[in-house]
Amino acid sequence: MTVILPLLFLLTAISGTAVVLVRDPVRQVFAIAVNGLVLAILFDALQAPDVALSELTVGAAAVPLLFLVALMAVRTQPPEEKP
Amino acid sequence: MSPRIRVALLALAGLILLPCAATVIAGLPPFGATIAQYGERINAITPEARHVANMVSAINFDLRGLDTLGEEFMLLAAITGTVVLLRGRRGEGNTEHAMRRPGRAVIPRSEAVVLACRIAGPLTALFGLYVVVHATVTPGGGFQGGVILASATLLIYLGEGYAGWRDAIHSHWLDAMEGGGALLFALCGLAPMLTGAAFMQNVLPLGTFRDLFSGGLMLVENLGVALAVTGGFTQLFLEFMEETRAADEPDEPGEESA
Repeated sequence: MTVILPLLFLLTAISGTAVVLVRDPVRQVFAIAVNGLVLAILFDALQAPDVALSELTVGAAAVPLLFLVALMAVRTQPPEEKP
Repeated sequence: MSPRIRVALLALAGLILLPCAATVIAGLPPFGATIAQYGERINAITPEARHVANMVSAINFDLRGLDTLGEEFMLLAAITGTVVLLRGRRGEGNTEHAMRRPGRAVIPRSEAVVLACRIAGPLTALFGLYVVVHATVTPGGGFQGGVILASATLLIYLGEGYAGWRDAIHSHWLDAMEGGGALLFALCGLAPMLTGAAFMQNVLPLGTFRDLFSGGLMLVENLGVALAVTGGFTQLFLEFMEETRAADEPDEPGEESA
């Protein structure tokens, strides 16, 4: 346990920073998903399985999906027709 | 506001807020400290008083059940807002084909994906149901299980495509599930008052400790939350997905004629 927790903290910091540093929106969505997954593992390691389950389903699945769909909707809008 | 004023404002705010934050952080119990007093008290009381093994569920649905009722209606309001915003522009009609990004190849769905989704979908749904019904015994509960159930429906989308997904999911059912779940939770609060008990008092038989049927009224409330969350999240996915469909008719017919 002594190795796992610092490792998870490090992963959390890295994945959280990655969300900020990645500039392409689509890649950013996947960075958020990875961050959510890491957080879920961290919560589980800290003996909070209820929160981990919520984080896993909402943070790593539902929110990235909604972001992806929103991005898709924005990108597939037909461009404005020039007169 | 010029950048210089912004930085000055930030420095001023930091000057005031940082010492306060530092004091609070210094006052926190050390990392990995023993469970706080409230937690100890809950752990000691709940198994005898409510016959429930999962303390988090006991707090959510019984000891602080009123807070969860508030959260329930917060979720209902959020989903209703999303539906009003998105469906208001689109209307009730369903359209068949997806929007295409110009110049992007259309890759047919591989059989491996279909097979994986057909296997994983029912298993995910089963796991979601398991998490829902075992709320008072193992970690999880109506919210977590509900979101898992809603994600399971997305595997239909991944495996069978949009049309198959829309065939399996009916928007009106989702409305009924979401509103009905919230209503069920509210009724769980009001029904005990008919017997002369307090709001949301646990009047049902408590069942056996560590059994599926333990916790009394919590099980009904949990079912209400599960219904509302499953319906709500699936509705949310549906409304967002609908945004990527090409509309049958343009929003303003006059502009498209050119």
